Amino acid sequence: MNIDLAALNAGALWPEYIVTITLVVVLLVDLISGRKASWSLPYLTLLGLGIATATLLPMWILENPVSFLGSFTADPLSVVFRAFILISAALTVLMSVRYINQSSLATAEFYVLLLGATLGAMLLSGSSEMAMIFVALELLSITSYLLSGYAKLDKRSNEASLKYLLIGAASSGIFLYGMSLLYGFSGGQTQLTEIAPRIVDLGFPALLSLVLVVAGICFKLSAVPFHQWTPDVYEGSPTPVVAFLSVGSKAAGFALAIRFMTSAYPGFSEQWQTLFVLLAILSMVLGNVVAIAQTSMKRMLAYSSIAQAGYVMIGLAIGTQEGYSSMILYIGTYLFMNLGAFMAVVLFSLRTGTDEITAYSGLYQKDPFLTLVLSLCLLSLAGIPPLAGFFGKLYLFWAAVQSQAYTLVFFGLVTSVASIYYYVRVVKLMLVKEPSPQVLGYSEAGDQDGIQTLKAGMLITTVATVVLGILFPPLISLADTSLRATPSLQQVRTATPVSRVSTGAEAPADHGR
Amino acid sequence: MPSLNAFLLVGAALFCIGFYGLVTSRNAVRVLMSIELLLNAVNINLIAFSNFLDPNNIRGQLFAIFVITVAAAEAAVGLAIVLAIYRNRDTIDMENFNLLKW
Amino acid sequence: MTFSEGVQLVSFIILTAIVLGGAAGVVLLRSMVHSAFLLGLVFIGAAGLYVLLNADFVAAAQILIYVGAVNVLILFAIMLVNKRIPTDRPVFSPRNAVTGLVCAGLFALLAVCIFQVPWQIQEPVAMNTVIEIGKRFFSEFLLPFEVASVLLLLAMVGAIILAQREYIPDRAEGEPEPLALPERPRDEVDTTPTGRR
Repeated sequence: MNIDLAALNAGALWPEYIVTITLVVVLLVDLISGRKASWSLPYLTLLGLGIATATLLPMWILENPVSFLGSFTADPLSVVFRAFILISAALTVLMSVRYINQSSLATAEFYVLLLGATLGAMLLSGSSEMAMIFVALELLSITSYLLSGYAKLDKRSNEASLKYLLIGAASSGIFLYGMSLLYGFSGGQTQLTEIAPRIVDLGFPALLSLVLVVAGICFKLSAVPFHQWTPDVYEGSPTPVVAFLSVGSKAAGFALAIRFMTSAYPGFSEQWQTLFVLLAILSMVLGNVVAIAQTSMKRMLAYSSIAQAGYVMIGLAIGTQEGYSSMILYIGTYLFMNLGAFMAVVLFSLRTGTDEITAYSGLYQKDPFLTLVLSLCLLSLAGIPPLAGFFGKLYLFWAAVQSQAYTLVFFGLVTSVASIYYYVRVVKLMLVKEPSPQVLGYSEAGDQDGIQTLKAGMLITTVATVVLGILFPPLISLADTSLRATPSLQQVRTATPVSRVSTGAEAPADHGR
Repeated sequence: MPSLNAFLLVGAALFCIGFYGLVTSRNAVRVLMSIELLLNAVNINLIAFSNFLDPNNIRGQLFAIFVITVAAAEAAVGLAIVLAIYRNRDTIDMENFNLLKW
Repeated sequence: MTFSEGVQLVSFIILTAIVLGGAAGVVLLRSMVHSAFLLGLVFIGAAGLYVLLNADFVAAAQILIYVGAVNVLILFAIMLVNKRIPTDRPVFSPRNAVTGLVCAGLFALLAVCIFQVPWQIQEPVAMNTVIEIGKRFFSEFLLPFEVASVLLLLAMVGAIILAQREYIPDRAEGEPEPLALPERPRDEVDTTPTGRR
């Protein structure tokens, strides 16, 4: 059998090659020059991520997106998500420099594992074949388990990583069982688009595989009821890792969800949309309600990220062009505001050694810059008008109204109002209250190398959070073009009502045999 | 030759036993073993399908090899984490993990 | 029924008994060491099923990797870690019974699903699976094959980092704890089993 190299269309994966090369270079530089060069590794990583982003942008619309004989589809949808993942990885590097030094964690391996997770997430957002999806998902997951246990002399970190590994491996086992059923139902196909026409008439068995697959994916999205690991893992892992998990790994999960559902289950769109309506409502309600009761900042952000995932799922659940493009836009704004909040948390905990919410009180008097960054990011997460988060939510709800999904809009609005309470509580604490003991002992004297990069990152994310709101109209058209040029989303209807919540479960049953 | 359904039933039974172990085990290593049972159930499914439905392309066999590879990596990582925990805490019983609440 | 069919049927029954019996032992037995050895038996039984299904290469890989590596790793972990007898937890508790019922329901669901699908069985093809698998790894499955190598490299690096012993130099008073999170724990750790909800 002769393989035509041109048929591989291997050029579509240049960004991934560059990430891999950076990974190897970081490993080798550390091996050869040891401690002397360890200061340069984060900048080397940043350089690699930058080059990868630069090579990714010209691939915006490729004539032939299918590469590696169908394993990977480099369509505009994947380009958008890969760009999100690269940016979130780069911002994570900015916030880890000081964190790694101060906790004296091994430097090189951290960036190597982070690059590995980035690679896995990028591959996951473009995979269109089941074996590839599985390998990319596991690359992302295994590196995440390792990163969350990276502070290995800390019991909380150990436990977080073990819990993450056990629940993650179990959920990927369930996901795999669903995929093995799909392989059989389709009579031996592993390409998602080949599977779709072969399972259309199956009825109940196909729905069973759908449920298994959705359960597996929702673990990555930490949607309620598959969220149990989230708060523990977020609290116990090093904060930069949490930041990456809450943005990069979630973005990859959403890319996977969109691609898997639209390519393999277009014939069951009503059923999976109903499923995602339920998941979105549960996530929005539970995430926001439980977040109110939290006393630790990291745990609060964990529950808030569950709720935010619920908002993003609105776009998936309505399943229209507008839905998908509002999803992409919201993930884009969520990226900056959430990473900005995490950077502020990193800076505060490095200086005071705590992440209790009460410890933030009176921070304005000691560090106005940190207060400003954290306030803007939290207010944007809450969806307060002039900031990017508001426009993101507005567009999501507007898309939902267009397809008459009023239940979703109702729950979205009510829970957003509830969420304002706990976000604004922190802002009020920082601005109005008397300084806490931790804040009184607050000093910038301990600041050393790496604080500057962290501050640069905070500046970037805050500016993006403010400016993206103004730039929204061009971004909307950008997202729309990317969706138009994505073949797998072509058959999507432009606006169909999905206002029901509980039907669909009984509808499918037995038109199979 | 036993039929395809017979093999699939074995896979399904193994999957359910693994699932039971996953929920009831209190020991981290036993949970890891239950996960290995799940993955073996998946492999039996894949190879049965590959033999009966896809004998020309045997994609299921290739998929199963990926599953085996990843399972080995996952087990190695899992046991490294278990060792790290054991050094810090002297136990790997799941009941005793309540530093972070569920 | 010809002789070879009879042999296949008998070996299928024996292998199934080994796999399912072993698996039940893995989840039900109290002793971790016994469970781990039974797990090895399950892996070998599954390899036998693969041979019945004409997947000789996968069967060999299963024995080499699962029995030779995964199972040995698990045994190592148990021997290194489990100094005490595991807790005296009753195997039959109401909670476990409910879980068992749920799992039985799941099995029934899967079985219904298996019998509902009209499988399009194809005639077996005689081929050398090793050659075919090699060809496909370097054509159709090239990308996952390469990514799997990155995955193995990273798993190795990470596992070494986590499992290796650290030699920490003496640190001055007031310096942060090495290799720990900078955030202090919220309160003193409660390790009593009753502390769980």
